[in-house]
Amino acid sequence: MKKKLPSILLSLSCLIVYLFLLAPIVVVLLSSLTTTEYIVFPPEGVTLRWYIELIEHPEFIDSFILSISVAFGTAIIATIIGTMSALAVVRREFKGKNAIVQLIGSPLLIPSVVFGVALLQFYSWIGLATSPLSLILGHIILTVPFVMRLVVASLVGFDRVIEQAAMNLGASSIRVFFEITLPVIKSGVIAGAIFAFITSFDDLTVALFIVSTDVVTLPVRIYTYMQYQYDPIIASVSSIMIIMTVVLMIIIERVMGVGKIFSSKN
Amino acid sequence: MGYLRINNLVKTFNRTEVVKDLTLEISKGELISFLGPSGCGKTTTLNMIAGFLDVDGGRIEVDGQAVHLLPANKREMGMVFQNYALFPHMTVFDNIAYGLKLRKVSKVEAKKRVLEALDMVRLAGYEKRYPKELSGGQQQRVSLARALVIKPKVLLLDEPLSNLDAKLRQEMREEIVDIQKQVGITTIFVTHDQEEALAISDRIAVMYEGRIEQVDDPITIYNQPKTDFVSQFIGEVNKIQGVVVGGENGNESRVNFYGDEQLLPFQLRTNEKLDFFVRPEKIVITQKHEGEGFQSIVMKKMFLGAKTRYFLKVEDKDLIADIPNTALNPHSIIEGSKVQTFWQAEDILPSRNVR
Repeated sequence: MKKKLPSILLSLSCLIVYLFLLAPIVVVLLSSLTTTEYIVFPPEGVTLRWYIELIEHPEFIDSFILSISVAFGTAIIATIIGTMSALAVVRREFKGKNAIVQLIGSPLLIPSVVFGVALLQFYSWIGLATSPLSLILGHIILTVPFVMRLVVASLVGFDRVIEQAAMNLGASSIRVFFEITLPVIKSGVIAGAIFAFITSFDDLTVALFIVSTDVVTLPVRIYTYMQYQYDPIIASVSSIMIIMTVVLMIIIERVMGVGKIFSSKN
Repeated sequence: MGYLRINNLVKTFNRTEVVKDLTLEISKGELISFLGPSGCGKTTTLNMIAGFLDVDGGRIEVDGQAVHLLPANKREMGMVFQNYALFPHMTVFDNIAYGLKLRKVSKVEAKKRVLEALDMVRLAGYEKRYPKELSGGQQQRVSLARALVIKPKVLLLDEPLSNLDAKLRQEMREEIVDIQKQVGITTIFVTHDQEEALAISDRIAVMYEGRIEQVDDPITIYNQPKTDFVSQFIGEVNKIQGVVVGGENGNESRVNFYGDEQLLPFQLRTNEKLDFFVRPEKIVITQKHEGEGFQSIVMKKMFLGAKTRYFLKVEDKDLIADIPNTALNPHSIIEGSKVQTFWQAEDILPSRNVR
């Protein structure tokens, strides 16, 4: 009995941490079902009315599509750039390497508000109008450090002799990269891509500065909508985002295993 | 005549020549070892043959064709690496089949050849495993199968046994020789382990500081080392001093070792103080206190099964003598006693001062 006390305490503390982490999500999900005209918890009654009413708000749908597209574009480009930088940084020695590493990493250190302001001024200076592309460009700068760090981590234990072995068997450098190197560092690359996608999809601070009236990402849409109204539509939009994320994670888990992706070894 | 010819090969790292004007001819089907201490240039030479390092001078020919300017993936060399270098994301089957896939061998044919190769290295039934599920010895066998399945022109083995434990190492080296003879492939075996090289090679190229000191069959390397480095690197050896007291009829010299004069079949300069090499197993000791040889004191003895190692001291010089227990009962000699010590004239070699 005495021996069991620590393990009971451990379970209890785990339970509390999980409750604390998951409670807001549950609150949002349940609030979206309320029959009242305002968000309340616990919800009063059960209705899907706020989901159906979303159809009357095409601006949410547009923003959702925009956010997904921007996140997708960001993820692809940031993953390519981040992976290439990681390979260069880990494998090559060149002049100013340290400076470049610091430069690529610097967005991690700058508050995103500052970054947003800087980007706004820079875009207006070079005359770049707000578009999905300008959003993607901003998000790439924001996400490349994450991708690079994750790929660098997966390259740490990489034994380059296997590349020599492949070359020795007759593989060209391109085949060596796609058939040997990339599959081995896959976990880091995919983790980086997911990180980039989520960071972009989730970004409010930077996007706030560069959106225009007709190019509005979903987080910005939710934020501005909430400044004027506080009806459960916000909860239903949020719930859809949560469900989407969960479904995405389940698919990834089924296909390759999340644990595998986020551990640096394979 | 030479199937693999290396002519005046040079490699320089940071202005230091690590391979110096190396020339060597290897016959078809021969197993030659590159033997030497670390930093002697043996792995660098192998990497130049494989194409992983650029050649700074000289040429490499295989079967009459120059290959030293070809990229590694065009040289048709099979390489086995020290740490196996298996592709971690591929099964054993896919690892071995990779070279065949690159050569666009049909799937049916590839499957047949992979299974044959697995059979040859005694790993039939392991094709679905991943490398991390195999022991070191098994991984090295897969690596060997992967190198051989593409029927390379030359097989390159880069210290393939040094990550294995002692017992497995012996087993594997015999297996490698068996397979090498069975396939009849020209093979270069890089090692720093002289026993390994002596055991398996047709010829050994002893390397030191970027040069080949001697290329010969193992018996010649052991018994007739051409340079002091080879004398000391291969096997164990006693280095002793003698004074040449006189030459006799041209090809012989009289040398004084610790008070005992011996006629040696070499022409040496009179009155010169010289180093000589004699192997521990060539030294003979007896409990008699007369006849040829000199007296030394037994400082310590070590029973090693078939033989006993005696640590002797004469004047200020330490000598090691390995005596078979059939020749001398180790019980009969106590530490601190004096023994008569000698060797046959043909078992001692003068230093040539060539390193």
